[in-house]
Amino acid sequence: MTPALSISHLTKRYRRGTLAVNDLSLDVKPGDFFGFLGPNGAGKSTTINCITGIASPTSGTIEVFGVDTVKRYRDARRLIGMSPQEFNVDTFARVYDIIDWMGGYFGMKAAERHARVEMLIEKFDLVAHAKKQFRDLSGGLKRRVILARSLVHDPQLLILDEPTAGVDVELRRDLWRYLQELNKEGKTIFLTSHYLEEIERLCQTIAIIYDGRIVRHGPKKEFVDEPGGLEAAYLRATGAEPDHAMVPA
Amino acid sequence: MKDGSAVADIGPVINWIGLWTIVRREWSRLMRVPVQAFIAPWISALLFIFIFGFVVGGRIALIGGHHYLEFVLPGILMLNIVNAAFLQSSSQIYFSRFLRYVEESLVSPLSYAEMIAGVLSVVIVRSVITAIGILIIASLFGVTHIQSVWEFLYWVVSVSVVFGLLGIIIGLWANNFEQLTILNVFFITPLSFVGGVFNTVSMLPKWMQWVAYANPFFYFINGLRHAMIGFTEGSEWLGVGVTLALAVVMSVTVWRLFSIGYGLRE
Repeated sequence: MTPALSISHLTKRYRRGTLAVNDLSLDVKPGDFFGFLGPNGAGKSTTINCITGIASPTSGTIEVFGVDTVKRYRDARRLIGMSPQEFNVDTFARVYDIIDWMGGYFGMKAAERHARVEMLIEKFDLVAHAKKQFRDLSGGLKRRVILARSLVHDPQLLILDEPTAGVDVELRRDLWRYLQELNKEGKTIFLTSHYLEEIERLCQTIAIIYDGRIVRHGPKKEFVDEPGGLEAAYLRATGAEPDHAMVPA
Repeated sequence: MKDGSAVADIGPVINWIGLWTIVRREWSRLMRVPVQAFIAPWISALLFIFIFGFVVGGRIALIGGHHYLEFVLPGILMLNIVNAAFLQSSSQIYFSRFLRYVEESLVSPLSYAEMIAGVLSVVIVRSVITAIGILIIASLFGVTHIQSVWEFLYWVVSVSVVFGLLGIIIGLWANNFEQLTILNVFFITPLSFVGGVFNTVSMLPKWMQWVAYANPFFYFINGLRHAMIGFTEGSEWLGVGVTLALAVVMSVTVWRLFSIGYGLRE
């Protein structure tokens, strides 16, 4: 079975010399809800940027459903939807336009695009804000726009870089529900988050990246069944000692 | 599950809708600043035409059988076309990097050629609208002559493309607003002013005339002047060669910069 995402010996060294990702290899099964964990600066966002084309890999290969993201980048990008950690938006643009333009970039015809944009605006409860400029929205609403934009072309692989950072509990739960729905429909989801509860609740497979390398990778069950659960497993994998109180005697 | 080989056939060879979206999007951005984009160059041209052409020019003898206002208009037009083209592409690229929404096109199935073509399309539209506005203003002074429409269009479009490409390079290179304006202040404005906007080469001291002939702006202005009033001081064909050579060299440079991700990708 062709993996939804296959990363092989990915290395990314920035121009100033920082080695952000170091010989990273990883496979994500189609239909998986994949949690990608790691401390700040571990290489999560760099890995995502290499997958989506925002950064160029120094070496190694990345395939999305068997399509090489460098050699056949146009075909690969049609399969990926990306919601970045930081807002990369024309802040003066209107909400409707932001989502509509993204559909246009993906070559969607006007009728199909408008129907899809309207559906997403409704789904993410943005109807009252569709004509507002992005800069006039609250943090939570901005996050919804970014998510709607990532879904406009109905991607097979959805990459979410800390999608619930800074959003309120209500929206977080709405998003979780929606992401679970998408996953049930067969979409593969690649999620990074600092909220271990979120990863534990949503994901089927987990990988931990530390210092640019995958230090642990496996089914969620293996992590949560350990003494101290996912948090202790995460701390052990990233070189920190879990609290004694966390690990039962 | 979707298989990669099946997916490969989905996309068109040219992403026309994506390309059109770049134009739509940038047009929308431009319409947020219409005074800056169109009204300012039209008012500036009106002042140039009135002061230099009408008031001062009325006291200057005919040049090659043409009134000074007729002589100076193509230069004023070219000055504004160059500025419109350069400012359009440099600001489009720079702001998309600055606000990071360039990432929207980087993660989408747009080829480098489509991205560049999208930027240049808006450059040409902005230059043509600027030029039409100035021609309308000039017609109020009774000096709008175009002897060869095709030649006129060639100069408007080719010079727009050259400076649109130059603007892309600067937009990719600049890391702050100061750098964005450096080329305009130290290179484009001085060279265009000494390229024969207000004077003929023969008015210059002998030792400076070779400088004028070595200045590419001279050929742009001379070419447009020939298209409008038939007056020329140099070879139009040499001018055509200069613009085409610049367009080719800069197209290759810009394409190369996009393909290595210069200023775009980390």
